[in-house]
Amino acid sequence: MSPSYAKPTTPAETAASSPQIGDDAYRALEDIVGAANVSRDGAVLDTYAFQWLAELVRPDQSHYMPRPAAVVLPGSTEEVQAIVRLANKYGLKVKPHGTGWYHWSGPIKDTDATLQLDMRRMDRIIEIDDQNMYAVVEPYVIAAQLQAELLPLGLNLNIPGVGCSSSIVASACAYHGAGPDTYFMGGNAENLLGMEWVTPEGEIVRTGSLGSGDGWFCSEGPGPSVRAICRGTLGSRGGLGVYTKCAVKLAPYLGQTEWEVHGTVPAYRLPVHENLRVYTLAVPDWDAWAEIYYKIYDNEIGYIFHRQFNLAGADLAPAFWLMYNDADKILNDVPDLVADPEIQKLTEEMRISFQLILQGRSKDDIELQDKILSAILEEVGGWKVERFCEQDMAEFTNLYLQRLGHKHINFVWAGGYIGSWMQFGTPDWVKGYVPTAIAGLERDASGGKLVQCGGDAMMGSGSGIPLGGATGLEQFVSYDPDDYESTVAGIRHMEDAVKDAASIKYPPGKEFIYLQIGWSDEQIWKALANSKQPQVFRYQTQIKAAFDPNDTGDRMYPTLPLEYKPGG
Amino acid sequence: MALTDFRPDAMRCTRCSYCKWIPFDLVKSARFSAGCPSIEAGVFHAYSAGGRLVTMLSLMDGRSEVTGQVVDIGFRCQLCGNCDVACKLCRYDMEPLAALRELRAHLVESGRVPDSYRPIIERTRAALAGRGPKTPADRNLWAAGLGLVDPEKEACDVVFYAGCKYSGEESLRETVRTQVRLLQLAGLTVGLFENGCCGGLADKMGYRAEAGQAGSRMLKQWQAAGIKTVVTPCADCRHTFTRVYPTFEGARDGIPQVLHTVECVAQLVRDEKLELTLPVAKTVTYHDPCNLGRQGEPYEPWAGVEKKIYGQAVVYDPPRPRYNGAKGVYGPPRDLLAAIPGLELVEMERSREAAWCCGAGGACREAFPEYSAATAAERLEEAAATGAEALATACSRCELNFAEGVAAAQDGAPGAAAAAAGLEVLDVLELVALSAGLQKEA
Repeated sequence: MSPSYAKPTTPAETAASSPQIGDDAYRALEDIVGAANVSRDGAVLDTYAFQWLAELVRPDQSHYMPRPAAVVLPGSTEEVQAIVRLANKYGLKVKPHGTGWYHWSGPIKDTDATLQLDMRRMDRIIEIDDQNMYAVVEPYVIAAQLQAELLPLGLNLNIPGVGCSSSIVASACAYHGAGPDTYFMGGNAENLLGMEWVTPEGEIVRTGSLGSGDGWFCSEGPGPSVRAICRGTLGSRGGLGVYTKCAVKLAPYLGQTEWEVHGTVPAYRLPVHENLRVYTLAVPDWDAWAEIYYKIYDNEIGYIFHRQFNLAGADLAPAFWLMYNDADKILNDVPDLVADPEIQKLTEEMRISFQLILQGRSKDDIELQDKILSAILEEVGGWKVERFCEQDMAEFTNLYLQRLGHKHINFVWAGGYIGSWMQFGTPDWVKGYVPTAIAGLERDASGGKLVQCGGDAMMGSGSGIPLGGATGLEQFVSYDPDDYESTVAGIRHMEDAVKDAASIKYPPGKEFIYLQIGWSDEQIWKALANSKQPQVFRYQTQIKAAFDPNDTGDRMYPTLPLEYKPGG
Repeated sequence: MALTDFRPDAMRCTRCSYCKWIPFDLVKSARFSAGCPSIEAGVFHAYSAGGRLVTMLSLMDGRSEVTGQVVDIGFRCQLCGNCDVACKLCRYDMEPLAALRELRAHLVESGRVPDSYRPIIERTRAALAGRGPKTPADRNLWAAGLGLVDPEKEACDVVFYAGCKYSGEESLRETVRTQVRLLQLAGLTVGLFENGCCGGLADKMGYRAEAGQAGSRMLKQWQAAGIKTVVTPCADCRHTFTRVYPTFEGARDGIPQVLHTVECVAQLVRDEKLELTLPVAKTVTYHDPCNLGRQGEPYEPWAGVEKKIYGQAVVYDPPRPRYNGAKGVYGPPRDLLAAIPGLELVEMERSREAAWCCGAGGACREAFPEYSAATAAERLEEAAATGAEALATACSRCELNFAEGVAAAQDGAPGAAAAAAGLEVLDVLELVALSAGLQKEA
């Protein structure tokens, strides 16, 4: 074990030294939102400090991010504005979150007195405009809720990889992510139309056409791009004001408008509509994998395109999913299934596999797409994985990938998961890091401190941009957060993945973003200064100075001091 | 069990918030997508199952103390179990509902309970000590004239256990008598003991010693009389008998088969001992009581330890039972309603393992009446949205809460489910009795 990781200290010490909120400020918060919607109770605050991934970045492997000084639940944009103004007055930080998942949802620094804004009271779907194909929502509307309202209208929305439990406002305004349907629909970050933003100083800004009173239909102009200021590519992740409403662009949906879901919990199923085809496809090698992705892009077929089931690891995935679909089986049954010769054959058959759902506008259209797919498979030497295309598994896949209501199977093996790698680019470029990513996980899991599910536990969207062109594979690394040594193995894997990527001249992946949460400002500045485009972060420093002069936002909106020189 | 037994569950909680909604695959509208009454009312994350796990962790870590708010967090929850179903969509190593029950028991042991609990538990203790206002004989007054036999003196096919609400609430009198008469109509000899509370309420409140005391007494009575089958119309009592009693010491000497009346009557219909021939022209929606539906799964004994496979994957040795609502009692009440000519069954959006709680569970009806009523109002809105004329259920506590909710709606009370003002609240077996031609008692 690396000597740099100290054994956990008593977490109580950290909690006791958390910055407090003064009585005046607290009473003012009560006046704004009502006493029932604000708390500074230690246990209540800890439920906000406790975050997934915290144990990988906190100095004592504590599961808690810094404890907020108070948690506040605003019920309207006006209340958000009043809270933000109060934060400016009392020198408090403001950290909003939707459902609050990821370590950066909480306060970042132990020294900051932070108001955690839990947006769950702002949960209205404001408008669905089916003619112009957009929906306007508040921050606590999750994708499952909006999708359920859209389906009867023949519409759908992008659900990012995080799943349908996620806030639409969060994914559109404050973060990013690709999902199974991004290939067809685009991501919410680019589907963002108008938005309502309470700036770090407490001004209410309405962007695009909304700002000129023309409704929600357009995200930009006139004038400089406020959208670019607010979110850029990655999003400000709660570090630059609060988003209180947004409109997202919708997509057509040609499946059944009423979902008759059946099956036994947890493996629910949705019959496959005549306009849809649901497949798990496999190829013989990674060259063929890249080739089939290009051909799917070029032929513009497909509605849902994702490498999903492999998250359980290529050695175990078929056994795991067949177990999951049998209500009488549990994880204990996986080893017996893995040992079954038929499943061993299946494991090899779908070692490099992914899921594709086709959607046609007519019988002719879907049949044409089917023919095209068959031709593509023949050209690349690929095949349909018959067992996973049978009715039970096809119906399961259909529902799983359309709703993304089981995304936290990420955590199924041991309760902890790290997404490493996930560099985003052309299939050929992604293919280039696959062997290193596989070897890295095999090496790091060999000691038994990470789940050993095969070196390839990579999954990801068929394309992170609409109609194809760029994909990414995220290595799903499972560790036990209740096991100190397993947690440390997770940290070392992240550090190793950064080095592994550098060794083949790839930029660092998702793990690098995770790790930075635990860094000092100096470490982050150094990384930003050495990045390919440091000027972006210096520009953001000027944006922050203009919009957040009292520094109410945290460093999730990354900035690089203008005078900073690496090592200087 | 102890709080520390759930430390791994807390450490492995990912704060995914699944516990706040019904299983996402079953969401049909935004309006009826919420699954957890507690967080809908309590608003802070701490009022969800995940939040309670962290609350427990924070207490264990010495980071926080038991405050008034922590007490509220511990008890303002119906223990309805939606969180358990939703969490286990993705997890095999979490037991959120068991953890919530443990938090409650821990707070009871620490003497930190809501003030509203004190008179309730005092009444329970008094009854257990034979000092209650009602004797066991008083509790049987509801059955006067039904011709039930004393199981200690005469043979019977089944022993009927009415439970506190059915035996005490005047408004439920006709329902419970109808249920017994249905069993008799099918030819069963029905027995009735003189006994007290099953201990279920004490158990839900976290008073395990009192629940154990009540349970031991009941088990001894059953065992002494050699009872084979107990039938109860109360979903809470059924849950206590089938899921709590097996954990008691006295269960080693045997527990009779326990059936809910809907299970028993459904079997009688299947066996053609009862014929449902008369039409009942009603559109009816059915509410799954939490303790009959998702928590109605059969008990499986388990004593084991955690072990790791594939390096770190968490399993249990021997395999741990998985309670996730898959094997709850959903079919029998629906089978009965479907068997009634002329009756149209329409489902609510949240049904079976995803049913929204009636609000009465977990002692909330007694301890937090406003919260309990608000939870019922939400369900009544959902029932009204189906267009049904009647809401049928199979639990005394559900029926009481709903009936009061409808009355509040008729009175135009603030927060009441206005749309449900015209809704009739019934027991499933009242409808069955109509179809079976059972005449109303004079």
